[in-house]
Amino acid sequence: MDDYDKTCLESALVGVCNIVQQEWGGAIPCQVVLVTDGCLGIGRGSLRHSLATHSQRGESNRFPLPFPFPSKLYIMCMANLEELQSTDSLDCLERLIDLNNGEGQIFTIDGPLCLKNVQSMFGKLIDLAYTPFHAVLKCGHLTADVQVFPRPEPFVVDEEIDPIPKVINTDLEIVGFIDIADISSPPVLSRHLVLPIALNKEGDEVGTGITDDNEDENSANQIAGKIPNFCVLLHGSLKVEGMVAIVQLGPEWHGMLYSQADSKKKSNLMMSLFEPGPEPLPWLGKMAQLGPISDAKENPYGEDDNKSPFPLQPKNKRSYAQNVTVWIKPSGLQTDVQKILRNARKLPEKTQTFYKELNRLRKAALAFGFLDLLKGVADMLERECTLLPDTAHPDAAFQLTHAAQQLKLASTGTSEYAGYEHNITPLHTDFSGSSTERM
Amino acid sequence: MKIFSESHKTVFVVDHCPYMAESCRQHVEFDMLVKNRTQGIIPLAPISKSLWTCSVESSMEYCRIMYDIFPFKKLVNFIVSDSGAHVLNSWTQEDQNLQELMAALAAVGPPNPRADPECCSILHGLVAAVETLCKITEYQHEARTLLMENAERVGNRGRIICITNAKSDSHVRMLEDCVQETIHEHNKLAANSDHLMQIQKCELVLIHTYAVGEDSLVSDRPKKELSPVLTSEVHSVRAGRHLATKLNILVQQHFDLASTTITNIPMKEEQHANTSANYDVELLHHKDAHVDFLKSGDTHIGGSSREGSFKETITLKWCTPRTNNIELHYCTGAYRISPVDVNSRPSSCLTNFLLNGRSVLLEQPRKSGSKVISHMLSSHGGEIFLHVLSSSRSILEDPPSISEGCGGRVTDYRITDFGEFMRENRLTPFLDPRYKIDGSLEIPLERAKDQLEKHTRYWPMIISQTTIFNMQAVVPLASVIVKESLTEEDVLNCQKTIYNLVDMERKNDPLPISTVGTRGKGPKRDEQYRIMWNELETLVRAHINNSEKHQRVLECLMACRSKPPEEEERKKRGRKREDKEDKSEKAVKDYEQEKSWQDSERLKGILERGKEELAEAEIIKDSPDSPEPPNKKPLVEMDETPPIEKSKGPVSLLSLWSNRINTANSRKHQEFAGRLNSVNNRAELYQHLKEENGMETTENGKASRQ
Repeated sequence: MDDYDKTCLESALVGVCNIVQQEWGGAIPCQVVLVTDGCLGIGRGSLRHSLATHSQRGESNRFPLPFPFPSKLYIMCMANLEELQSTDSLDCLERLIDLNNGEGQIFTIDGPLCLKNVQSMFGKLIDLAYTPFHAVLKCGHLTADVQVFPRPEPFVVDEEIDPIPKVINTDLEIVGFIDIADISSPPVLSRHLVLPIALNKEGDEVGTGITDDNEDENSANQIAGKIPNFCVLLHGSLKVEGMVAIVQLGPEWHGMLYSQADSKKKSNLMMSLFEPGPEPLPWLGKMAQLGPISDAKENPYGEDDNKSPFPLQPKNKRSYAQNVTVWIKPSGLQTDVQKILRNARKLPEKTQTFYKELNRLRKAALAFGFLDLLKGVADMLERECTLLPDTAHPDAAFQLTHAAQQLKLASTGTSEYAGYEHNITPLHTDFSGSSTERM
Repeated sequence: MKIFSESHKTVFVVDHCPYMAESCRQHVEFDMLVKNRTQGIIPLAPISKSLWTCSVESSMEYCRIMYDIFPFKKLVNFIVSDSGAHVLNSWTQEDQNLQELMAALAAVGPPNPRADPECCSILHGLVAAVETLCKITEYQHEARTLLMENAERVGNRGRIICITNAKSDSHVRMLEDCVQETIHEHNKLAANSDHLMQIQKCELVLIHTYAVGEDSLVSDRPKKELSPVLTSEVHSVRAGRHLATKLNILVQQHFDLASTTITNIPMKEEQHANTSANYDVELLHHKDAHVDFLKSGDTHIGGSSREGSFKETITLKWCTPRTNNIELHYCTGAYRISPVDVNSRPSSCLTNFLLNGRSVLLEQPRKSGSKVISHMLSSHGGEIFLHVLSSSRSILEDPPSISEGCGGRVTDYRITDFGEFMRENRLTPFLDPRYKIDGSLEIPLERAKDQLEKHTRYWPMIISQTTIFNMQAVVPLASVIVKESLTEEDVLNCQKTIYNLVDMERKNDPLPISTVGTRGKGPKRDEQYRIMWNELETLVRAHINNSEKHQRVLECLMACRSKPPEEEERKKRGRKREDKEDKSEKAVKDYEQEKSWQDSERLKGILERGKEELAEAEIIKDSPDSPEPPNKKPLVEMDETPPIEKSKGPVSLLSLWSNRINTANSRKHQEFAGRLNSVNNRAELYQHLKEENGMETTENGKASRQ
């Protein structure tokens, strides 16, 4: 970001925009604090000018708001409300918040401009934007007071019916456990450190147990470090077992707790939030339908822990898993015809595959109304029949003639022979008995 | 994309009039002769698809991609129009798959070229399409039921894709007017109906298709608002692959799709198995999988797609997986994919590789030349997903280690035991609804929470806080007492466990009482047993309200333990005899077997103890973020002091010293079995004789000796 000797809020915001994106990408929420005296600059580059030309921007000089990342814009005015209202400054600053999709707030000084009042203004910002999120982690009767960092943001479900922001519970209740292999790198909204904290009787935080320079705190932290904490136990076991704990964050909202290693030595308890909803991960199914293994007739993980009830199989297979027929490109059609031909030349050994491929082609041709293809393939099989070498098995000729005849019948399109569910079956010949045995 | 947007309902209206039976005049060579057999054979004449075939296969391809990427909540209704409208399926989810549609299309068959063209019209289909858009889908129904009085907030929008052969621009206008008029009428009808919904928004996509080489009589027109309810666009497309390309573009526009090309996929050559070449495979998926590229502007677009599609594709490089390591990646999104060219060899090689359970990391080539893993392909239950991995800097850099925080200095967490606990509390899907006794629906997840509540009623977190969980002998009781209900066999096992403990106490067996934080050798033996019994009572009492059988376990426990040891002994002996009288011979035998097993277990334990104690020094240093004690019960001092040294009063320097020497020595050799099993330092000789003579004698022998 270059320095300028005049107020130019737009360049400042552009600079912020670039820095944040380079450093953090577009997914990490960022709080942008703009400290200003409430003056908007003059002439070109002034906020008034920026806003006036806002509607005439192209791709190249896009206005930096809304920020292309989840953000809150806090504007700290070193001026009191009356001063700002005397000009249109406040209106312009409010426009900025509006342009950031309403994400943010303006702070002004109560009373005269003095150190105390400025401190109190920043105090308000701290209370609003930087209060730690305290919660209680529960697993049945085992509990621990924790701080979740960064603060989980409320989530607005992209849903036209009821777009109420969802906020996570301060009771984080573990509902069960799943192997890492089964949860399988699920998509998450955000991830957070779960830090155990020590609370005194009034519920104030005494310390995180993290060693500090301050001596008093040091001793308090040392005591906290020596009191067994559920988080540490949970973390240790999750790490050793390679598992995650499923945690309920609210109605129809879940997340997972797991051990995250920062380096060889350091590791931590982390929590990731799934997207709210009854079924955040298709391979686990509906969250409400997950129950304890002891309720199952037999252990779904097997007696030797050698199997797993996950992933759930969907009812219908996807196109790439069910051998669909697509003839949009000529090569697709040619490959299918070649497959039939290849098997035709290996009759009677390949009788089953031959008919399987033949029926697949027949079905698709009927569905696409491509009856000419059936005629063409029938002609081709008849030609193959005439080309059979003398050494060929006598059954081959019978099967080819039979298949060609059946395709011709289907190509008439009359319902009797062109039924979709109908399959051409191998002809029973005096020789076919032995050939079926071979299969 | 909101659930009830235009993409929720798509109606295909395909013209089935005689004209559609005409050839698209694009030839397909299907008789590809293999080189060595071509001599003297003339290949069969190429064939060509009809306009109908082109239309049907292109719309099926549209549906294939849509179903692959959105298997739910995106619905298709297929209508064929000739002398009337043939509606091939319904909005229900069961009807939403390619097989159903293919079967229905086969039943319709190709258009009859000899039918009377005057009777046939696409209008029948368009009217039916509007009608079907008013019909409620199961998802709309569900949402309306959920919202009750606000049911009107559930949207009803849809799209009609009409493939026909129009005569002129004015013919097209006539079709649009007809749709407009029909919507108006049906909305009036729907207003007075409970099971129909008014159409709020309808997108009409008219595709005029004609044989290659002909002149188009209809001009293209971009999307135009005909009324607040209806927008319409016109595409004039040659049949054959042009039509397929157009529908491929449309499916991408309609469902916000984007394309990714995976490059550098190593594949064995079909003909030469020992060589491998690199292939590219193009995949479609929701465009959010590219969100990071779009926002950061660091798009590295690898030229336009080979299909000549309107959209560009983003190129990602295959990274050959080295290990099958199971890792938890930080993934910000996962999107279903569909290969553009599903049956091509490279596509099916890639999809089969993934369906077999392997995951592939994908590398994003950056302008700077640096390598960043940005995506991962992985299948879950037969569905392939493109996972977006976070590649930007983490805001959680260099966090404090858990060992530096609260509870971080504690070194004897029951990590292994809690691991066992987690495995017992793993989740599994219950797809069939279950009902409680009162007939209400049972929610499996609530059952899981209940189980966790039961299993944690008494669960000490550290080894030095517990005695019973450090004792193998307690396991049979501790593992079943937490259950919601017990079987008779469970109760019997619990009782056996308790008798066994009584037996241990009588023999004065050492207990794994922790000496952490205490000076000297810790509590005396009878005190140890008192602590153990108290703890066991706490555990059992926590569960007495589960069932009457739990209550019976507590009764047994209370009967067997008693505070004054002499009384205890007497009571126990009396009880044992009573018990034995009504137990069958088999039960006696079982007991014997179990006892001898326990004995051998104990011997094993003694042998291992030495090792453990050596390991102990290291364990203490171990930080709790990697606290995997090599054995379940390491951090306990077995009280092995012979009773003779257990003098009352303050411990003398001599006894301290000899204690120390004895302990050190005892590590160097295996203790005599006799001394180990001794009672009050007196070992009984020729025990086996009595054992051979039966239980009664042993019991009497011991009793008389005391």
